[in-house]
Amino acid sequence: MTAPRKPLSPTRLAVLKAIAQNVRYGFDIMDATQLPSGTVYPILGWLERTTLVRSRWEAIALAQRDKRPPRRYYEVTATGARALAVSIDHYRALSAAGGLGLAKPRRA
Amino acid sequence: MMPRHRHQSDASWSAFARQTFGQGLWLVRFASMLVPACQRDEWMAEWAAELFHRIDALDVAGLLDWPARWNVFVRCAGALAHALSVRFADSRQNMLIQDIQYAVRTNLRRPAFSLVVIATLALGIGATSAMFSIVDAILIRPLPYERSSELVSVYGAIATAGAATDRTYISPPDYLDYREQSSAFAAFAARTAFGTAVLAGQHGDAPERVSIPFVSANFFSTLGVKPIIGRGFLPSEEDGNGHDVVVLSHGLWQRRFNGDRGVVGATVLLDGERRTVIGVMSPTIERTFPDQMWRPFIFHIEESSHRRAHMLRGIARLKPGVSIEQARANVDGIAHRLAAIYPEDASWHLALVPYRDIVVGNVGPALLLLLGAVALVLLIACGNVASLMLARATTRESELAVRVALGASRTQIVWQLLTETLLLGVAAGAVGLAIAALFVRVVHAVAGGILPRLSEVGINANAVFFTFALSLVTGLVFGIAPAVLASRQSLAGAMRSLGRTSAGGRHLRVRDVLVVAQVALSLVLLLGAGLMLRSLWMVEHVELGFEPRHVMTGQVTLPRTYQTRVDVERFWDTFLARVRARPGVQLAAGATALPLRGGSDTRYHLDGHASDADADGLLAQIDIVTDDYFSALRIPLVAGRVLGPVDRAGGSEEAGHGSIAINRSMAARLFPNGNAVGKRIVLDFGQPFSGEIVGVVADVHTFGQDVGAPDIVYVSSHQVAGNFDGRIMNLVVRTKGDAAVLAAPIRAALTELERTVPFSDVATMERLLGDSTAGTWFRARLLAGFALVALILAAIGLYGVLAYAVTQRTREIGVRIALGARRGAVMQLILVRGLTLVGAGLVLGVGAGLLTTRLLDRMLFGVSTTDPAVFAAVIGVLALTALAACLLPAWRATRVDPITALRAE
Repeated sequence: MTAPRKPLSPTRLAVLKAIAQNVRYGFDIMDATQLPSGTVYPILGWLERTTLVRSRWEAIALAQRDKRPPRRYYEVTATGARALAVSIDHYRALSAAGGLGLAKPRRA
Repeated sequence: MMPRHRHQSDASWSAFARQTFGQGLWLVRFASMLVPACQRDEWMAEWAAELFHRIDALDVAGLLDWPARWNVFVRCAGALAHALSVRFADSRQNMLIQDIQYAVRTNLRRPAFSLVVIATLALGIGATSAMFSIVDAILIRPLPYERSSELVSVYGAIATAGAATDRTYISPPDYLDYREQSSAFAAFAARTAFGTAVLAGQHGDAPERVSIPFVSANFFSTLGVKPIIGRGFLPSEEDGNGHDVVVLSHGLWQRRFNGDRGVVGATVLLDGERRTVIGVMSPTIERTFPDQMWRPFIFHIEESSHRRAHMLRGIARLKPGVSIEQARANVDGIAHRLAAIYPEDASWHLALVPYRDIVVGNVGPALLLLLGAVALVLLIACGNVASLMLARATTRESELAVRVALGASRTQIVWQLLTETLLLGVAAGAVGLAIAALFVRVVHAVAGGILPRLSEVGINANAVFFTFALSLVTGLVFGIAPAVLASRQSLAGAMRSLGRTSAGGRHLRVRDVLVVAQVALSLVLLLGAGLMLRSLWMVEHVELGFEPRHVMTGQVTLPRTYQTRVDVERFWDTFLARVRARPGVQLAAGATALPLRGGSDTRYHLDGHASDADADGLLAQIDIVTDDYFSALRIPLVAGRVLGPVDRAGGSEEAGHGSIAINRSMAARLFPNGNAVGKRIVLDFGQPFSGEIVGVVADVHTFGQDVGAPDIVYVSSHQVAGNFDGRIMNLVVRTKGDAAVLAAPIRAALTELERTVPFSDVATMERLLGDSTAGTWFRARLLAGFALVALILAAIGLYGVLAYAVTQRTREIGVRIALGARRGAVMQLILVRGLTLVGAGLVLGVGAGLLTTRLLDRMLFGVSTTDPAVFAAVIGVLALTALAACLLPAWRATRVDPITALRAE
């Protein structure tokens, strides 16, 4: 599947960017993005369905050694990396063009 | 691939972490029910793992505090949104958010309706959450001690042919034998139930009587409490090396010593003797023991070596894995061995009761009953809201028809309607939480001394969690039926013309059922409240056997310098004379036991009967009284004479004989043929004391109004004092006017006479009476409050259904009136319908009431659980209220203008 043409929504972008920066687990992504669990997890599901990220389970042996349950981690696919680049370019261009007109630039 | 792993907390975590994990996991598991079964295990595994890691990281770093825990719970609550997104990933990726947005808009469009729903439910949820947090703190949560389920209270028990008692005391030699021999106890400690001393004032403080029981050296370690400074008692201090050491309670240390850490090693004056403070105990122990100080019990001395001197209460810690039944068998075995060695004490053994049961006492059933009652109120509130939703659903038919026409499936309609009600439920839960906090605060203010463990009651994570779950369940309960019905209706509605509202016949029938149920439930609550109030009335009108008005009481504790009975007698003669001289005082007397203050028991037997075995040992309360006691309390004389100045001669404790008075029911039982006066009974005062009955007086309710009158033997203070600790006596003053104002003058009279003697437990007799019924009042008020809310809700529900029916039938009524129906007939039409519902509800309610009021049995005094007067009164109140609720809609029906009604079509 190719990367979506349209840029990602800001929240999806935030989640994807966090994963790209090697924040791999659900709760850690919430910390990094400051988004609630009810937002992050549905987005992770969407990103996985659209193959922008893929998820794996940690090796059981590793977890058993530390006496803890294995965690599921997420990583960005090649498609995801392209979509990330496209979206970042988009928002950057938008910002350069004066943003969404929400913020009033004060600095010279 | 998905790894399988059991969801369990880590053994190394703190209890707080394990609890957080358990509750978080519960939330997640709750949400997981929405996840399609094929994905559920994997979904759970991911959430459980994330939860585990978060709590592990926080716990290891020591950062798991209340805000962090809250944060975790909020995340777990988000699992619900996640589960929904998984569930509807294919068909409706964004439908949930749309549903919620739509639901918010719908609810906001009708703010009055939403507010009524939220307020009604919030009341129910708030009261239920508050009752839950009370039940949780008192009944569910473990005691503040480590592994508190291992703690058992140990009592002395006698099995005799007559009456068996299993809540009495253990003698010190018995205690030592059991402590040594028991294999079931990890530790076995003892504490005397008595023990007070006068703590001398320092730096100008007034002297004060403090409770300072004697305890075995292992008392604190058995409970698992540690001193916060200094140390507890050493085993060697049980052997007499520790007669001069004391441990302070945290409360006394804070209040009396301002929390000064230098107090350890300091000397205090107790009963005029010097004692060294060796430690201050952790405040935990004060949650279940009222003690202010402790001193070591000295075994192996003459006074502690009598096997018949029962004076200790035990508390033991069972060995891990040992059940209380096994422990009972173990101590019974020891009792058998001891019986063989000491045959004269063969009937004594030990009784074990879980310590928790002792602390919680008998409030358990009452609390659960109140929780049940408040849940019924919530159910009635749900009924009202469901009824409102049904009524609204009919007016929304056209809206739903449009949605169906546009292709909404039935599931989607149900889901949409449920989202609306769940939203209302959650909003009501939030408001309810605030109401619960308020409720708990009120309970703290009024239930002091009534509820055990009150300091632990509060709105905590458990309560928040319960409220959240409750509001979801509530939303489902009142939402599901209207939603399903409305969706079914909407298919039919779609066929009809969009502008017209249908009669909604099915809705009305469902609402009828709701009203019947509401009437029945509120009848049950009203019956409970009615019985409690009637029982209170009975309690307050018990023949007390004395006149409580205008009586002031207080306790006087003389120092050890008053050694002989003559010393004590001289003090009281002077003191009472000075009190009598005060203006406003009519009579003054002293007594070791007072009505409503309890007292101590002694064995006795009838003169001429052998006394060598326990078998014929009878127990009676001993009250040593001064001359004017009976006239001061106005206890009526039944036969013979009262004790008085004449008893200065004619006997004494030392002589082994004297005069006594007994109460009427004791006299009637011992001497069924009458004529108790002149007979003798032999009392066990350490040595036998043969008392000649010179008078019989009325029964006095010594242990509270709702307990039968005990046997009391009155002896004159001129004759007896010594072994009964005559140094502690109650002052009774009959006043001419208000009794309360005399406290200060009496205290002054005492101080003039003896500067260091404290005047404690000062209270008017009327207040003592009030205190004795405070618990019953508390329960009755709560139940009556709940019943009143239920009654109002049921009336509103009934009114709503009838008013709606009148609106729906406006046209029909118009036609009837146009055709010549009289107003009376129209009114009858509506009234009959309403009263049929009420009648059905009453019949059901009486049936349910007969089944449920049985639960009240042990809380009632002098009233049967099926008291016909209460049933009739309650049915009357409910029927009248229901009639009032019917009248307005019925009257409105008669005002229908036929022309307007027909033109509207």
